[in-house]
Amino acid sequence: MTSQSTDIVFIDSTTSRECHLFEFTSKLRTIMKVNQDLPHDSVNLTVRSVKSCTCSNHDNGDSDRTTNAPRKYSVLDEKALREDDTKLVRDQRVQTMSRSYEIILESIGEDPTRQGLLKTPKRAAEALVFFTKGYEQSIREIVSDAIFDEDCENMVVVKEIDMYSLCEHHMVPFFGKVSVGYLPNKRVLGLSKIARIVEVFSRRLQVQERLTRQIAEAIAEAIKPRGVAVIVECLHMCMIMRGAQKVNSRTTTSAMLGVFREDPKSREEFLSLGRINPF
Amino acid sequence: MAHLSESSNNDDINMNNLHIEDKKNDVRRSSVLDEGTLRENESESKHEQRLDALKNAYGIMLNSVGEDAMRQGLLKTPERAAKAMLFFTKGYEQSVRDVVSDAIFDEECDNMVVVKDIDIYSLCEHHLIPFFGKVSVGYLPNKRVIGLSKIARIVEIFSRRLQVQERLTQQIAQAIEEAVQPLGVGVIVECVHMCMVMRGAEKVNSRTTTSAMLGNFRHNAKTREEFLIIGRNSSF
Repeated sequence: MTSQSTDIVFIDSTTSRECHLFEFTSKLRTIMKVNQDLPHDSVNLTVRSVKSCTCSNHDNGDSDRTTNAPRKYSVLDEKALREDDTKLVRDQRVQTMSRSYEIILESIGEDPTRQGLLKTPKRAAEALVFFTKGYEQSIREIVSDAIFDEDCENMVVVKEIDMYSLCEHHMVPFFGKVSVGYLPNKRVLGLSKIARIVEVFSRRLQVQERLTRQIAEAIAEAIKPRGVAVIVECLHMCMIMRGAQKVNSRTTTSAMLGVFREDPKSREEFLSLGRINPF
Repeated sequence: MAHLSESSNNDDINMNNLHIEDKKNDVRRSSVLDEGTLRENESESKHEQRLDALKNAYGIMLNSVGEDAMRQGLLKTPERAAKAMLFFTKGYEQSVRDVVSDAIFDEECDNMVVVKDIDIYSLCEHHLIPFFGKVSVGYLPNKRVIGLSKIARIVEIFSRRLQVQERLTQQIAQAIEEAVQPLGVGVIVECVHMCMVMRGAEKVNSRTTTSAMLGNFRHNAKTREEFLIIGRNSSF
């Protein structure tokens, strides 16, 4: 690509056919879009090459991050995989999935023409599209109009948000509760937007660790608080209904950013306020 | 089928009349004990064929969802999902007669036997989404008892299929009745349906309860009441 005297971080999204050039200067940031065909090697945005990066003057609220680290991909601006779907494309998806479900019904030995199963492929396909509707929305459009200036300096905790997701390894549901806490830095986020962020990330093929991290990073990027903490506690059907078949076992993951990572007392306060009760 | 030639309770005066009426109204049901299974005694190669077909179907599904089926986390997902689906429908591979045949014993017991809080996991046949919960099974033996774990196995066979909760309940009751010919059978199934919780109506706390009362449990209110109290499932 071009080489400029200012620092350039080249980030490409391998799921979209554009690359974004972010040019950081001390005063302004410009974004130039260049259309290019790129090989697909992963869904997530990856940093392809870094010349050097000075982010010290960047208005990123996490001042405790090392300033020489390469600029990570933005969860807020990550392109949703199905964002550009038209109705026609969506219908085609449902049709392809219906056909797959029909094959599944035949392969397990059932009779797809019996009354109870006649419309099952279509219903199951619609259900799967619903369970992956998180791919249709981008975070920025959800949160951008619900960020408010507020002189709140105490912890805000939204706890026990019900969450339902699909395990990406077996395509079997896992579900549970999420507790989110943050320490505002003059800006607060609409409370239901926190629940919506959880929805967008959970209605996808997920791994619980990644889900937790994404929720925390989205909130961190949206309002740049002093710290964000997320706990997710789930039951995994892939572990209960099959495999190890451990009925009472739950998996808990957490993500602590900013003050919650540095300061044990803040972390402790969050863990007691946001405690997930048995469900 | 031995439909209540004796009553264990003296309160019912018109038992005989009830029997005749009931027999007229009984729908002629096929035997579940000898019901042919869809996947019984299959060869390795047939099993492999099924796996391959499922793998392909899941691979296509991953792409239709919009995901990148080549990324690290999803590479082996079609295979895992295929094996999981075959496991969730393994009830098609076994017949009830094979499971219970050697565990029926002569016993002088004429009091109610209840096995409760049996965990069940099944797949809703309308959406292919799990539903799960607990089952309580009770029966009044008529000189023959069935091995207790066989009751749980019967539940497993019928639940590991594409099911409708009503049919599942009926099949469990019928299987016990045919196997042991007791004075009566009662089955209660209480489940949470993910197809209702995760999508659709999205009612998180709702449960569905179905029951099947055969023989004494149907005609005798006191017996039924006793079963409902003893066999009450714990909340989950």
